[in-house]
Amino acid sequence: MKPADAVLVTVAVMLIAMLYINFWTPGRRAEQAQIRTPYQNLQVSLQQDRDIAVKGKMGISRLRVRHGKIRFIDSPCPGKYCIHSGWLKRSGEFTDCLPNGISLMISGADARFDAINF
Amino acid sequence: MITRRCGTATIIAVSLLWLNNGSFAAGKNHELFQDTFDAFGTLVSISIYGMPKKTARTVSTAVISDLNRMHGFWHPWQPGPLARINKLLATGGKFYYPPSNLPLFDDSFRFSSQSGGLFNPAIGAFIKLWGFHDASHLPDKPPSEQAIADLLKKNPRFSDVVVDGLQMYSKNTAVILDFGGFAKGVAVDKAVLRLREFGAQNAIVNAGGDLRAFGKHGERPWVIGIRHPRANGVIASVRIRGDESVFTSGDYERFFKYHGKRYHHIIDPRTGYPARGSISVTVITESAGKADAAATALFVAGPKQWRAIAKAMAINQVMLIDDQKQIHMSKAMAERITFEMPLGSYRIVEPPP
Repeated sequence: MKPADAVLVTVAVMLIAMLYINFWTPGRRAEQAQIRTPYQNLQVSLQQDRDIAVKGKMGISRLRVRHGKIRFIDSPCPGKYCIHSGWLKRSGEFTDCLPNGISLMISGADARFDAINF
Repeated sequence: MITRRCGTATIIAVSLLWLNNGSFAAGKNHELFQDTFDAFGTLVSISIYGMPKKTARTVSTAVISDLNRMHGFWHPWQPGPLARINKLLATGGKFYYPPSNLPLFDDSFRFSSQSGGLFNPAIGAFIKLWGFHDASHLPDKPPSEQAIADLLKKNPRFSDVVVDGLQMYSKNTAVILDFGGFAKGVAVDKAVLRLREFGAQNAIVNAGGDLRAFGKHGERPWVIGIRHPRANGVIASVRIRGDESVFTSGDYERFFKYHGKRYHHIIDPRTGYPARGSISVTVITESAGKADAAATALFVAGPKQWRAIAKAMAINQVMLIDDQKQIHMSKAMAERITFEMPLGSYRIVEPPP
């Protein structure tokens, strides 16, 4: 094999690898969550475990980040649907606490929706 | 020979780089501008595709200031032109109204009459009686039956309001105007006009979950997810064609529970109580103002009457989910909607022949 063949093969392998990564890896591990509140927007990393308190229309909602997942753990709303939603981890997953005006969405390059209607 | 092979390799390498910078990057929102801000009493998001970031930032700033101005003009409970109109309507006398409120009146008369009064911006007194007028607090119990019955007897209707040239008065002093089911839509329409003025060809204006979208996200259409009214996540999605508004009215947005019963913010003008029968209604139509008014009216109309009211309002894309977990859809909606999750105990109702 001549040096140029080696280059060609390397490039071809790289091309295939790149095409694979770009088109065939669905639902990559989510890196970040977007938290929207009436007062601010937050981007939080899911790689660092912690609890977050955010102020909403009715009061404070609490969120927990653990091992690449995020969930509501407390909210001053009447239904507590946000807490019942449980853990969110895949990109595009979404929940909210509408009474408190807080929405939570896992963001990623392959987010499926441009906007959520509610 | 080596040179030629190297040449081929170089061509491939260059193509690879080009691919990576061009099409791949575009697929990763290279040309997408997004801004989210607090305006019009809600969280507003603007997405613009294919516009230089600097121009997009300027438009977005202009839209924020438009929305805040409209919010001030059209707020029924904070001091401002509409609050002043409400004070004067309560006197029963004629007065000169501020022109900043005209965009709300013309279309409201039409939608109110087409919906047989189910879209009724004159029931501000009910909204206040229930305590849904204060965005920062939710009520903890319903008002007394007597108070509701007394107000119902006074029967405030939007047709009681008379606009006579530059003057206005109300034939019924119980009328308090609250354009809650309409003003946000009109504001979204104005925001879209502003975006177009600045040359935007692809954008979404999303005001607290209700939106108007036009153009595309690059080569693909904008994809809008519709929230499930009870479960976590998106129940269905639609792909935007051209320029469309998608509005949903749901009983889960503002509500409280009392003795285990849910009381939400969409009041049925016929009963004075939160409308029963629907849990969410999604409407797709051209203008956001019309979509907003129709979503409210059809929610109140409920599973038995929505088809008739939709026809009267010339709305042909509707999805109504009722409190028996039945999903009703117009033919035009059924043809374009994509369900995104297993429906579980919810089921789709076949339309009548």
